[in-house]
Amino acid sequence: MAVHKEDTSHCYVQFGRMALPNQYFAGRVGSRFIIALRDEHKILGVRCDKCKKVFVPPREYCERCMSRLDDNWVELSNEGVITNFTIVRYNDKHLPRKAPYVLALIKLDGADTPFAHIVEGIDPSKVTVGMRVKAVFAKETTNTILDIDHFEPL
Amino acid sequence: MTEYYGSKLEDIFNSMEDRFRPEGAEGVDAIFCYDIAGEDGGKWQVSVKDKELRVEKVEGNLKGCSVTIITDPETFIGVTLGKIDAGEAFSSGKIKVDGDIGLLTNILPKLFTKYTPPAKDVTSKDIIDTVVERFRADKAEGIDIVIGYDITGEGGGKWSVIVKDGYCSVKEGLDPNCTVTMQMDAKVFVGLNLGLIDGTAAFTSGKVKIEGDMGAAALSAGMFERFKVGVIEGAEELISLKCLPSIDQRFATGPVMGKWFDGLKEKKFYATKCPVCGRTQIPPREICALCRVRCTDFVELGPKGTVTLIDDVYYASPDPLTGEVRETPYAGVYIVLDGASEEEAFAHEIKKEDIDRIKPGMRVRPVWAEKRVGSYKDLLYFEIDE
Repeated sequence: MAVHKEDTSHCYVQFGRMALPNQYFAGRVGSRFIIALRDEHKILGVRCDKCKKVFVPPREYCERCMSRLDDNWVELSNEGVITNFTIVRYNDKHLPRKAPYVLALIKLDGADTPFAHIVEGIDPSKVTVGMRVKAVFAKETTNTILDIDHFEPL
Repeated sequence: MTEYYGSKLEDIFNSMEDRFRPEGAEGVDAIFCYDIAGEDGGKWQVSVKDKELRVEKVEGNLKGCSVTIITDPETFIGVTLGKIDAGEAFSSGKIKVDGDIGLLTNILPKLFTKYTPPAKDVTSKDIIDTVVERFRADKAEGIDIVIGYDITGEGGGKWSVIVKDGYCSVKEGLDPNCTVTMQMDAKVFVGLNLGLIDGTAAFTSGKVKIEGDMGAAALSAGMFERFKVGVIEGAEELISLKCLPSIDQRFATGPVMGKWFDGLKEKKFYATKCPVCGRTQIPPREICALCRVRCTDFVELGPKGTVTLIDDVYYASPDPLTGEVRETPYAGVYIVLDGASEEEAFAHEIKKEDIDRIKPGMRVRPVWAEKRVGSYKDLLYFEIDE
């Protein structure tokens, strides 16, 4: 019983659908960050006084010196600079936008770490590192980072 | 109607009109039906069309439903309030859904704002309990006072609030060193704190009696943040997101694994045999990964075999295809089918009735589905071969 590559008579295709309930807890620090986005349109970070670094999104502990940071909140600018970016060129239902769209690392004024978000309002091929962008807040809240709808060039 | 988690079914359905968001109903034309079983249950039909809402309690049969939710009052109220996880209620069968489930997961949350249970009556104790967290140290610099509260009537009590060195504490009973003592009825106390009663008017009309240092009484007002009803239920909002990701899966068997499914239709187990080491692989694989050669020869194994290992399972994970959790215990068995090379045990399941008797070394035979279509469901389980 030899099998030939061209022979597809024994081929079957099985279909299924994965559906697993998930729960994500933002934590105290994450919740405060999202609530500030949602209710006040403010982007908050945390500052490590020892390392003189401002982290965004905020985290409970400094990744360098392990100091606790959750009582040292700072408000950041809604504007920043693109430090890197990629163009997402495929569609999938879990993705936040239809392809092609720009996913960029944005370092907000006052922050020392960049964070990832969508850049819109510009042809993806025109996006450059160093470009200044500004947050546009979502009209409807989802209690997620998408309470910032996207960033757009200044 | 019975209350669950402080709410009744009627509360939820009656509040739908107030909670309806026409902007979320753009282009929605659907009828949501609720069949809530039990003595304190009922049937409701919620129709949404042209950005308008109609909620009806139905006595007879539910008709024209786009989607029907079948559950019991406790589960329904629990899920609505977020006290019960919807996904879990669904997978354990406490909620059944008939019709377009997408309407529930994608459309329904946009149609309504969140239901909140009717506010419980605020008591004097609720207010006293939050005094410490409402205390503003920045407004109490250099203040050293003890404020006594003598609250009379239903829900009353005696408490002393001590402010010293920028700290605030509360103790039960009236402290003998109270700087000032305020006596009033519990209703007045609650009304004042909720902003429903004017403080000056309450004092001048004699509803509030103040003994001791009047200045301290005036000071006390500025030292605390206003009492908010929400504060008693949990001062800090924490965000938790629930989602039910649905990922389509497509698995193409290819011709080699496909041969396995062909075999199941004929009640046969086909394995590939490595031309170099001679080991059999079941289900068949194109390559012998040990010898790194292509396997082109098929051999038939079994159908009977010998059990080598048994896994008793008491905790089942949800089936990723359906989200359902199967009945436990069940037992997985590893079987060396007749003709298979010794190390190539085949994993399947043993008949439920045989779980207690099965031992390594026992002989087993396959039990087949009556109608076989070339699917993994064609082979039901193995049973002890007696």
